[in-house]
Amino acid sequence: MTAAVMTDRPAAYTPPAQYKLSTAGLLRSEWTKLWSLRSTWIVLLCAVVFSAGLGAIIASSVPDDQAIGGAASAIDFSMAGIALASVFIAVLGILTVTGEYSTGSIRSTMSAAPKRLSVLWAKAAVYGAVVAVLFGAMVFLTFFLTQAIFSGTGLGGVSLSDDGVLRALLGYTAMIVYLALLALGIGAILRNSAGSIGFYIGVIMILPQLATLLPWNWVTDVTPYAPGNVPNTLLMVDPAGATLSVGESWLWMGIWLVVTYGLAGVLLKRRDV
Amino acid sequence: MIEIEHLTKRYGKKTAVDDLTFAVKPGVVTGFLGPNGAGKSTTMRAVVGLDTPTSGLARVNGKHYSEFRSPLTEVGALLEAKSVHAGRSAYKHLLALARTHGIPKRRVTEVIDLVGLHEVAGKRVGGFSLGMGQRLGIAVALLGDPAVLILDEPVNGLDPDGVKWIRLLLKGLAAEGRTVFLSSHLMSELAQTAEHLVVIGQGRLLADTTVDAFVSGNGQARVRVVSPDAARLAEHLAGPGISVSSPERSVLEVTGTEAAVVGQTAAAHGLVLHELRTDRGSLEDAFMQLTADAVEYRQTTEGANR
Repeated sequence: MTAAVMTDRPAAYTPPAQYKLSTAGLLRSEWTKLWSLRSTWIVLLCAVVFSAGLGAIIASSVPDDQAIGGAASAIDFSMAGIALASVFIAVLGILTVTGEYSTGSIRSTMSAAPKRLSVLWAKAAVYGAVVAVLFGAMVFLTFFLTQAIFSGTGLGGVSLSDDGVLRALLGYTAMIVYLALLALGIGAILRNSAGSIGFYIGVIMILPQLATLLPWNWVTDVTPYAPGNVPNTLLMVDPAGATLSVGESWLWMGIWLVVTYGLAGVLLKRRDV
Repeated sequence: MIEIEHLTKRYGKKTAVDDLTFAVKPGVVTGFLGPNGAGKSTTMRAVVGLDTPTSGLARVNGKHYSEFRSPLTEVGALLEAKSVHAGRSAYKHLLALARTHGIPKRRVTEVIDLVGLHEVAGKRVGGFSLGMGQRLGIAVALLGDPAVLILDEPVNGLDPDGVKWIRLLLKGLAAEGRTVFLSSHLMSELAQTAEHLVVIGQGRLLADTTVDAFVSGNGQARVRVVSPDAARLAEHLAGPGISVSSPERSVLEVTGTEAAVVGQTAAAHGLVLHELRTDRGSLEDAFMQLTADAVEYRQTTEGANR
């Protein structure tokens, strides 16, 4: 538009052509959103402190005489904090979605990406990657820390090269990423912080534990397949006695994620924002 | 260009928008007027794909919003002031949105300066006043330098300076050939900003016309007279179709006739006039008159349902 032609109706405006909505852009956007909230830093700090700190305290308070020994209990004790940290990680995963709904920022988000589904994938990818990196490091850090404490006791430490130890540690990392993604998906389905956290703690964490107390045998048969229980085999140094094999454990984690994200995706497409 | 075609949206049994059809053209500011609950926000939400219509279409430049490869450069929307996470800073909120489209940081700073949030850009949005929230919402809408702007009650909460600023801003954007569509409950504000008007009530289209035509078509002109002989003049003016009221002792407000007639009547009876003036009907009057039925209807049905 070089000619300064004045007419009653201005010439049609052409918006800038160099900006495009992209997958890489959505990932960067979710990364920015995640780290620009104070709650992210607080919750992740709590998760880190609990996983290492609780592991260390428990490890140093295991009495020598009651120490059963063996790699299995050495891992169980040292990873006790990781299991608790998974609750923080799950809650933060829920909040990355429900926080957008409770504050209304979801309207801005979905106006920028009106196809919607790509937002869900980007959120899951970014959060899953952050948790994987952070807890990949934390699991091993906690392991070395606690084994150093154990090595001075009757329990004795185990080493990474011992049978099944490395796999169990990677299993803990996989479990926490799985739970993070599961929780984020639940948040996308329920869209409400309190409801999602309640559902996660009640149905995913506690119900499978309580279910074993019920007087029906079939309940005991299905509880290993509950969403919160399927990663359990991966945590074992010796998974031979588990109901699910290592392969089945991975398979069921995949199934539950597909179910959760399938439902979340359908609802995200259908519901008004 | 925004095209709304037979748009209907129901939430359960409640019909928010009912077979609405109109178009918003580029180059002028178009106002969107209607009483609370008339369906303005729902219509705007449907345009940017946040609400899925029960039936009908809402399109922008011939496409459904979700088909655009760069939605933020096609449509900039301010739907509710607080569409922001309260714990995030204004800068980070804009940056996160900018990144989806590869919009550079330079543009983020630019819109922050444009809306006058420079000094608070790093502060968390939770502490923002309504006016600051509005300014941030406007910054979001402008981020992609879009061809179409949709603003739901943009002047809500702005101070007089802010109102004046946005009025000029929107007119300038329209003059660049953009489509500017804004709703407001401040009808006088629309009269000063918009050239074209779309009026709805109860989700139905009531008028789609220019502001001038709307006021002259619906508002009633009123003659204001100041006279020391007001009472006697009122007697002489009385007639079929003419109503005279006296808000003060020496003041008359006459409808149903013209200033010339009032002047002649006074002259014929030798009455002194201190002031004789025609008040054009205001947009408020016109709006009230047009939507009166819709509002009354709704209130009676609600009463009956109880």
